Order: sequence, then structure tokens, then C-alpha cells
Amino acid sequence: MVQVEGLTKLYGDFTAVGELSFSLQPGEVLGLVGPNGAGKTTTLRCLSGIIPPTRGAVCVGGHDIVRDGVAAKRHLAFLTDEPRLFDYLTVWQHLNFIARIYQVADYEQTGRALLEELELADKRNALPGELSRGMKQKLAIACGLLHSPRVIYFDEPLTGLDPIGIRRMKDSILKRARDGAAIIISSHLLHLVEEICSRILILKNGRKIADGTLGEITRRFSEQAGDTNLEKIFFRATSEPGAGASTVPPLLPR
Amino acid sequence: MIAALLYLQGHTFRNRLVSRFKRLKQPKYLVGAVVGGLYFYFYFVRYLFQLPGRRPAAGLAVSPGHLLLLELLGAFALFVVVLLAWLVPRERGALTFTEAEVAFLFPAPITRRNLIHYKLARSQLRIFFGTLLLTLISRRFGGNLWIHALGWWLILSTLNLHLLGASFARTLLLDRGISNRLRRLLVLGVAGVAAAGIWVWARRTIPAWNPAYLADVDSAADYLQRLLTAGPALYLLYPFRLVVRPFLAPDAPAFLAALAPALLLFLLHYLWVIYSDVAFEEASLDASQKLAARIAAARAGNWPQAKANQKARRPWFKLAAGGPPATAFLWKNLIGVGQVFSSRLGVSVLVVVVVLGVLLRNDAHSQGLSIFAAIFIAITLGYSLLLGPQVLRLDFRHDLPLADVLKTFPLRGWQIALGEILAPAVALAALQWALLLVEGAIAFYLPVPHQSLLFAAVLGAAAVLPILDLLLLLIPNAAVLLFPSWTQTGKDGPRGVEAVGQRLVFALGQVLVLALALAPAALASAGAFFLLRLALGPAAAVLLAALAAAVIVAVETVLGVMLLGKWFERFDVTEDTN
Repeated sequence: MVQVEGLTKLYGDFTAVGELSFSLQPGEVLGLVGPNGAGKTTTLRCLSGIIPPTRGAVCVGGHDIVRDGVAAKRHLAFLTDEPRLFDYLTVWQHLNFIARIYQVADYEQTGRALLEELELADKRNALPGELSRGMKQKLAIACGLLHSPRVIYFDEPLTGLDPIGIRRMKDSILKRARDGAAIIISSHLLHLVEEICSRILILKNGRKIADGTLGEITRRFSEQAGDTNLEKIFFRATSEPGAGASTVPPLLPR
Repeated sequence: MIAALLYLQGHTFRNRLVSRFKRLKQPKYLVGAVVGGLYFYFYFVRYLFQLPGRRPAAGLAVSPGHLLLLELLGAFALFVVVLLAWLVPRERGALTFTEAEVAFLFPAPITRRNLIHYKLARSQLRIFFGTLLLTLISRRFGGNLWIHALGWWLILSTLNLHLLGASFARTLLLDRGISNRLRRLLVLGVAGVAAAGIWVWARRTIPAWNPAYLADVDSAADYLQRLLTAGPALYLLYPFRLVVRPFLAPDAPAFLAALAPALLLFLLHYLWVIYSDVAFEEASLDASQKLAARIAAARAGNWPQAKANQKARRPWFKLAAGGPPATAFLWKNLIGVGQVFSSRLGVSVLVVVVVLGVLLRNDAHSQGLSIFAAIFIAITLGYSLLLGPQVLRLDFRHDLPLADVLKTFPLRGWQIALGEILAPAVALAALQWALLLVEGAIAFYLPVPHQSLLFAAVLGAAAVLPILDLLLLLIPNAAVLLFPSWTQTGKDGPRGVEAVGQRLVFALGQVLVLALALAPAALASAGAFFLLRLALGPAAAVLLAALAAAVIVAVETVLGVMLLGKWFERFDVTEDTN
């Protein structure tokens, strides 16, 4: 469903993403993790056609995101951590607008169901300025899911959601994966990644340093038997060469 | 405590200045600063300091009679501002602090009075720059530099204190159970009684108003002077005249004579504000949050949200799920236009136009006024082409901060580009057609020569203007995509001399591009007119020439939209727009 070959994004001499290759099948949930500045957001932006890659190719649903961007984007949804909404459109007007852009004929039924699912039904005539941070996030999610995308990218999807919202979001992601959507989740919340992702890709300084199931990555980076905690594996994988497991920072200064 | 607050204010000002100087290292700010500096020098500073080549002027270049009229008009303007301050606001009295000030100062052991002093000191900075700018402008008409500066300072400072005192008084009234509605009724009642008193006095004392005065400035001025310098209006406007008088003083002795009562009024206002025991903290907290939201919106280029509280607006038409996607942008942005131009405003304008039309039709003196109105509308149409695309910004200039969202849409660049420029073009064209309709009606009712030629010109303009609007809107939209850091839609708001310079450079560039774009259409329409004039007559020639121009402009617009779409596709959302 998503095919990435040698994806590279340069800003002058700075390599934001370098020679990244991977593929994603329908039903897979890929966790994209890495420290700040690792290139996660740049990767997602290249994968969604927001910024063109300097080199390499990205295919979504068999369509090249650069050469055949319109066809590729029809299958896509990119949900960012910061909800990006039109300040003068109400909740329902957002769905109406998106329906026209994606030509969703039965949007009224789907939209109503989404608003019910995301507990926004009573806010359909509210402007974004009248919504809380979490509600805005839910509206952005509703807009992203309205056209039933086959490929969904989430950039920190749980930001601003309350505990019930978080639970529902996780269930929604897993349900959509079961229905055949290919999903990429970029997050610093390692327990989320551990809980719902079937594969993990670790980025550091724009380069892929690990790609596989949690078990595969554990086997590669684990020094002790039974060390299957993603947090410990993450610190070990992203630490400087030769630094060893001692680079895991303590919770409190000693 | 005051010292700490002064330290905060002083260092905030100093650091802001330093950062402004530091950014001059960037060419775009340096060029802007040079151009802006030259602009201010040639248009204001030379007049301010009466540098060589400028004629010296001891006082305002107006006669004593007109000086009195200016004083009355200034006093009346102040009266209106003060009346509105008591009438319009709904909120409780609040000193607007930044969120940081609320976070640090409100929990700190600072008395309420000290906080008021701090805010008054801060407002003096704003008043200082206001004074500077107004002095630069007013000195162009002559007068003493220091009299102008001190006069403006007194006006602005007294007004500032009055607005603050009024907001405190409104809060006190609310605390005593007097609702906003009741307060407004009381204020309107007092204003109504005053207006009725003036009307009754005027009817008994001075000759009645003659509509012919409208066509004669001196007669109108004379009537106003007689009305406002005696009877109830004299007492009503007297305090306001005291505030305005120092600014209008022709020389130093007159200024000093006018200064004492004005200073006394200023001092009374100061005592009123300082001794108002009003709990403003809660309202200030709310106001500071709104201010922060507005600043954030403005820095994101989102001016409609930055300006006012928004209300959900109904769409102007129903948007079906199927059809051209560009229509979705038109639908969306027209809802945004509705934030500024509500249907209530439209109806109000229509009522005013109809009432004026009926008055003009029934008035014996209306012919001259009708001609004046026709010329005024023609000039307004011309300005709509220049200013309309700058004012109506619900296109890429508004949506660029959401460019990453737009880029995820499964649309070609030209579809997004066309969609983005449609709403401002439609709004502008609607306004122009309304003006043309009025122009046509005036032409129909007036026995003017060449009436058919006028009708042809109106029809031709109706055909050309919508397409021309699209072309005109392409230019600033192209500019924002090609030079995002120059057009400042992004994070940093436009401020300072360098920002003025940047805008000037940019406006000049846009005029040049516009001239190039319009040259082919102008040549074609001129050629068509001269060729067809003899065969078909001037009226038909004008109409066909306009249509020829419309076709050429349409072709240019189509090419421009395609190009704009390409530029949007290439637009890098990660580019720094600061």
C-alpha cells in the first residue's frame, strides 16, 4: 500500500531524511519513533506529498506521490498533532467542505456517524474557536477519516485527548487497520507504539536504524534476556555508539 | 515596587529595539528600512523640522474662522468617541495585560493602584508613538512643532484616561445591578435629551437648515458654527473644546493660555482612574487571554479572527458533495467574507442607498448632487481596483498558514489557486456591480448628454471588471507564494519603518506587474474602439472594445491561474515566512 524507496530530503547541506526505504501492507500499523529532530515529521510530510522529496520515490496505492499526486492523495489522510482547521467554518461545514474536496457522496451519513463516534454531535454548529483543544483534534480526525482513507498517517495522534478519547482513538486505529487500512503513527509515546503497532521503525538523524516487529527489534538491541521494554530498547538504539545501556537517563538527578 | 515595574517596561522596550536593529542584518529588513526611512523623510520629517526647501509656517495654515470650525469639529469627534465608550462596550472594565504580565504580576505583592500606574505608564509608550505619527502628519499643514506634539499628547492621554475611567465606571454600574441594556438606555436618553434641546434651541434661535448648504461649504460651516457655539451645544462641547484647544493654538502664548484648563481636565481624569476602586483582575485575565489569542491569530496571518469575536455564519449557497472542487474554496471563503460583510450590513447599506436615492429624486437641488454622486462612484470604482485586492485577503494570503493542509488535498495546483482567488473576486465584483447599478440609475434619471455612451460604458465595465478582479488578485497571491517572507503572512506581524518600506517596495512591484498585464488589453480595446467607432457609433464601439479587453484579460487570467497553481505546487511549506 505504501512503498518508500531511497527517500531523501535535504535542506541545503542538512539531511533531514536520508535514504529511507520501507514498505507497508494493508492492515499494518507502523510506529515511527525517534528522538527530537530525527526526521519523523519530515518523513510523514514527504509521504503525504506536502513537501517534495529531494531524492527517492514514494508510492501510495500504486501511485507516485510526486508524479501522480492527485490519485495518491485520494487514498491518504494525514492527521497532525496540531489540529489545522479553518477558523470561520463550523464543525459540520468542515465536513461539508472536505466532502466536496474528496467527492464523498454519502458524507452526511458518514459525517454524522463520525461526529457521534467522536462525541462531537452536539458541537456541529460550533466554530473551532469555541472548541477545546481535544475537540479540535477530534474534528481534524473526523475530517481526515471522512473519505475512508486506505492509508492514514498520524503525527502524535493522542495529543490533547482525554482518557476516554485516547481509548477510543486507539480502538479506532486498530479497527481501521483490521478493515485493511495501512497506518503509520509517529509518536514519542512509546507505550502507545508498543500497544498498537505491529511494526516499529526507529529513525535517528534522518536515518533508519531499526525496522521490524517489536520482537525483531528486541532481539537486535537487547543485551539481557527478557529486556522487552520498548523504552529501554529505544534508549539503547538511539544512544551514541559505544555508550551502552548506561545512556538511559535517570528519572531524577542523582 | 514601581522601580521593578519600570525596570520591566524599560527593558522590554530596550530589548524590542535591539531585536529590531539586529534583524536589519537580513537584506529584506535592511532594504525595507532604507525605503521606509526615505519615505518618512520625504513625506514627513522635512515638514516636521522645516528643512531647506520647506516654507516656514508659524501657525496652522487656516483662517481664525476655520480654526474655530476645526476646534468644534475636533470637539465633536471627541464627544462621539466618548459617547460610544459609554454606549457600546459590554465587557467589564479591564486593563489589558499580556499573559506573562498576568502570570507574574497578579500573584505578586503589588497593589491594584500600582498595577494601574504600571498600565498607565505602558500606555504612555503607545501614546508617544501615536503623538509622533500624528504630529508628523499634522505638521505637513504647518504650525509649531512643539505645540502640535504637546497638543496631540494631551488629547490622546486625556482620551486614554477617559476610556479607562469609563470602563471602570461601567463595571461599577454592573456591580450595582445596572445592566448594560439599562446603561445604554440611560446614555441614549441623555444624548437624546441633549440632541432635542439643541434642535429646539436651533429652531427658535437660528435660521433653519437649508439643503442648499450641502453644495456650499462656507454656508454649511457658518451654520455649524452658529449651531455649536451657542445654546446647549456650547455647554455640551465645552469640555471637549478645552482638550482640543491647545493643539490648535496659533502661537506659544495662546497655547499656554489653553494649556491650564486642559491640564486640569487631564488631572481630574487621572484622579478619577486612580481612585476608582474597581476589581478589574478577573476581567483583565479574560481580556489577556483574548489578546493572546488575537496576537496568535494575527501572527498566523489570520486577521479576521484577530479582529473580533467570530460567529458561525451560514453558507451563501448549498455545497453539494459532487462538482468542481474549486467551488468548495469559493463556498468556504465566502463564509469567511460573511464574517466581515454580514447580511445585516448589506441590508443597512441598501436602506441607506434607497433613502438617499429617494431624497435625491425628490430634492430640487439634487441634480448637482447626483452628478457629484456619479463622479464619486466612478472614482470609487477606480479605487476598488487598486484597494479591493489588497483589502479582500481571503485567498492564499489568508490560507497560507494552512498550506500543509491544502497540499494534502487530491487536487491540482490550479484548482486550489482558482478556488482561492474566487471568493475575493466574487465579493469585489458584487460591490462593483452594485456601484455600476447605481451609476446606471443616475445616468437614466439625469438628462445628461451622451446617455447611450454612458450606458455602454457601464455595461462594458460590468463585463470587464469581474475578470479584471481575478487578474488583479493573481498578483498579490503570486507575490505571497513567491516571496512569502516579504509579504509577511507568517509568524511576525508587520511593524516598524522597515515593514512600511517592505510594503512600499512590494506595492511598486505589483503596480509594475499590473501595468504589464493590462497593456495588451488596453491596446486591443483602444484599437477596437477606433476601428469600430465610425462604423457602429461610439456607444457600440465602447461596448465591443470592453468585450475585446475582457477576452484578453480572461486569457491572461487563465494562464495566470495555471502559473499560480504551479507555484503553489512548488511552494515549500517549511520555508521561513518570518
